[in-house]
Amino acid sequence: MSNQSMTTHEGSATPELRSREKQAIERETTRGGPVFRADVDIVERADEYLVTADLPGVESADVQVRLEGGVLSIETTRGFAPEPGWTPVYSEYASGSFYREFRLSDQIDVSRISAKMRDGVLELHLPKAEQHRPRRIEVTS
Amino acid sequence: MAQLRWTGLTHPRSGEAWDAFESLRRGVDQLFAGYDVRGSQGVHPFVNLYESADGFVLTAELPGMKLEDIELAVQANRLSIRGERKISYPDDGRTNLHRRERQVGQFRRAVELPVAIDSEKVEASYRNGVLLVKLPKSAAHRARRIEVQAQ
Repeated sequence: MSNQSMTTHEGSATPELRSREKQAIERETTRGGPVFRADVDIVERADEYLVTADLPGVESADVQVRLEGGVLSIETTRGFAPEPGWTPVYSEYASGSFYREFRLSDQIDVSRISAKMRDGVLELHLPKAEQHRPRRIEVTS
Repeated sequence: MAQLRWTGLTHPRSGEAWDAFESLRRGVDQLFAGYDVRGSQGVHPFVNLYESADGFVLTAELPGMKLEDIELAVQANRLSIRGERKISYPDDGRTNLHRRERQVGQFRRAVELPVAIDSEKVEASYRNGVLLVKLPKSAAHRARRIEVQAQ
């Protein structure tokens, strides 16, 4: 699998271009093709965690978000595919699927997790469970 | 397409030095093939280039961009892409940034092609965070099919 991603990365000519490359990850998989680690931002707000993942070239229908045993996983089944008549002449990135997983603390209200995909960016809202939200306590005199 | 190949050489051992040599060779290959792709500091959108039936197709991974933040220019055989990727999380004072991997900032990439481009016919589209630019060769460089006339 790593060999495949190496050959498709031919073309990083200068050190500058080499400085950042898509990271292929090794996974036990029966599917062919490289799997990439998606870049992710995680923001905690008062009432939720917001997970934003870059998944360029991926259709919303091809994203699978799963929660199993407290592990949230983001997986795409396929990415951008060039048209059959196109011959690669210069290549900096390989297309493939993305994968990322996170262990969630138990303070997420799993029944209200929502996901939205737009312009190759996945937005996952993970609402905090009611008892873990900060509460404002009125001080009475 | 001119290609340099070191077929007459066998490398005694592989290693860092050889890798550097390999990367130089690849760079030289590209130079002779007529493709020159320049990078940028900061955000570095990945670029792939394909040859199609009537010209070239460039794809760039730019997820979550606003179209007004991408600027394309074509001149003769040179395409340049510049723009800025902006990501902001409203800070209400109780926002905690746990992880920030998605790159933000300005970028500029330039691609030089071996032949001139018909700038009037360049088409660009943006879908699922991938910028796709179709760059047809100018008529003078396009292969023509010549019908053989029966006498």
